[in-house]
Amino acid sequence: MIRKLILYSCILFAAFAAVVHAGYREDFEREFLTKPWAGEQVEESSCIGCHSFKPTADENVPVQWKMTVHYENNVSCHDCHGGDPKDASMAMSHQRGFIGVPKPADIPDLCGKCHIGILKHFLESGHGKALKASRNGPSCVTCHGSHKKGNYIQKAHIDIINEQLCSQCHSYDRAREMKQALFVVEKKIQEIEGGIDSLRKSGVFVDEEERTLFSTHAEFRALFHSVDVTLVKNNTDLFSQRLIVLEQKMRETFSELQFRRNFSAFLMLLFAGMGIILLLLPKPPKE
Amino acid sequence: MSKGIRDWLEMRIGLDDLVKTNLTGSMVPKNVNLFYTLGFVSLVGYAIQVLSGIVLMIYYIPHPDHAFRSVQDIMSKVPYGWLFRQIHVVGSNLLVIAAFMHMITIFFMGNYKKPREMTWLGGAVMLIFTLAFCLSGYLLPWSQLSYWATTVVTSMPTAFPIVGDFLAHVLRGTEHVSGATLSRFFALHVSILPPLFLLFMAVHFLLVRRIGISSTPFGKSDEESRAWDRYQKKRHTDGYPYYPYFFQKQMFMALVYISVMFAIITFAPTLFLPVEANTPADPLKTPALIRPEWYFLAPYQMLKLIPNKFLGISIQIILVSIFIVWPFLDTHKEKNILKRPVLRGVFIALMCLWVLLMFWGMK
Repeated sequence: MIRKLILYSCILFAAFAAVVHAGYREDFEREFLTKPWAGEQVEESSCIGCHSFKPTADENVPVQWKMTVHYENNVSCHDCHGGDPKDASMAMSHQRGFIGVPKPADIPDLCGKCHIGILKHFLESGHGKALKASRNGPSCVTCHGSHKKGNYIQKAHIDIINEQLCSQCHSYDRAREMKQALFVVEKKIQEIEGGIDSLRKSGVFVDEEERTLFSTHAEFRALFHSVDVTLVKNNTDLFSQRLIVLEQKMRETFSELQFRRNFSAFLMLLFAGMGIILLLLPKPPKE
Repeated sequence: MSKGIRDWLEMRIGLDDLVKTNLTGSMVPKNVNLFYTLGFVSLVGYAIQVLSGIVLMIYYIPHPDHAFRSVQDIMSKVPYGWLFRQIHVVGSNLLVIAAFMHMITIFFMGNYKKPREMTWLGGAVMLIFTLAFCLSGYLLPWSQLSYWATTVVTSMPTAFPIVGDFLAHVLRGTEHVSGATLSRFFALHVSILPPLFLLFMAVHFLLVRRIGISSTPFGKSDEESRAWDRYQKKRHTDGYPYYPYFFQKQMFMALVYISVMFAIITFAPTLFLPVEANTPADPLKTPALIRPEWYFLAPYQMLKLIPNKFLGISIQIILVSIFIVWPFLDTHKEKNILKRPVLRGVFIALMCLWVLLMFWGMK
């Protein structure tokens, strides 16, 4: 009786399932992953919609933008160039803050909207003064690139200072001196970055360490944009000290991880040993 | 001293009789194997989850603004908090494996057959409760991993026409996974599921004790072949005492379980806690790869493959229903699955399909 009831229920259920609601896999993906409850999805930017028509990657700005550090950090077109990415008709409206392609002299202000500390030091530097005088460079993109092929904005790195790049405008001697002044702190920053990455992979929440490193790093690099070797050299100790404190904290975390591993290994051996002892206890008598 | 306590208890509760009836005088079949201990191993697993869960609950804050931070504090600031969390996380996964294996071996040995249909039924419901524990507990750390995995799993009921959205809304409390979902899942995890689970566990144990342990079908004797026209406890008079012999076996397997748990904590501490588990939940940032926990991967992948999603979820419900009521459907007298090639073939095919879908779902 029960068996029959269950079987009939299953058949009825399957029949109902088969006739109701025809849908497809795409439907599933769309419904399951893009409904409002799946979080507010990033809307398709109207900038990307229009600028994606270029057939090759060289001309296609959105494809190139995806190669940059800005894309990695969710910095989209309108964050730099203004406009309204949600409204195609107003996307390039100056009323909505559209800037478009900035003139070379305006580039520092455009980048400086976010990189505030760096802007101040840059404008006071030889580079900034040269730009102000010539109205044509050097600006941020001269060294850091933009979203043009072969010169994408990458995460800032000491190797941006190189003979090939610097000697396009002036001799490399002074730049080399600056690179040497930066080296100690930059090397330590790289080591700490590696350590933080390793901690993260080990399951440690490194938010505080990341924030400390980021602020120290940002301040140091802002200082560097003054292109004043003496100023950088005078402050190297201060930054090194801050990084040593961070490094010490990370070292303690690594020690803690090692302790955890040893402790759980001890517990594993303890319980495994108890298991082995149990195996040695008398077995049931055989007939 | 101990004799004094013993005499005191003997006088009041009849300790000797209690021990004799339930431990030294309770006989188990001679041919029971290590697979018979998986129920006990699961029980130990549940006990570990309860104890570690209580410690975690002391420090955990079930609020979206604090949940992630409180879990990180447990990992870094609470003395040995990391150990309790690791035990809870690794333990939950091992527990699912132990419970699955328990059910599979019971199925394979045909021990669900008359008169143990209700024991199977209780066990199957407990397995579903275990998965519900896992699902509700998974969201609590409020990390990217847990948030998006919960988003995916709680979306599954929307496959139902008419009531689908309502069901999803009941689960989440709001349109999307939010603070309301966290509150619901926390309540489910710590106060709704535990008493229900304990109730089923009590019934399950009562039935195991009342009916007696089944003989393995591969042994010399098979008492189940007799006609079941009235209740009779299986006493295994030719067997050996539960205590100490079978208890030793159970404890041995429980220690293996605990050792494996600590081995994972020692050598692969991030196995169940990848980088996404240490990233706070961000509803605005959809990760590149969203997938549920490994034990939900096979049904998830199945849903993705079947074009009609209602059909997909219906098939799953039918399969689960068949699994739960299987003892009532399988009335074949033969217990030994080795003598039933069709059932054996279907069983192996289903296992292979499950594993295949699981690995497929990982990609």
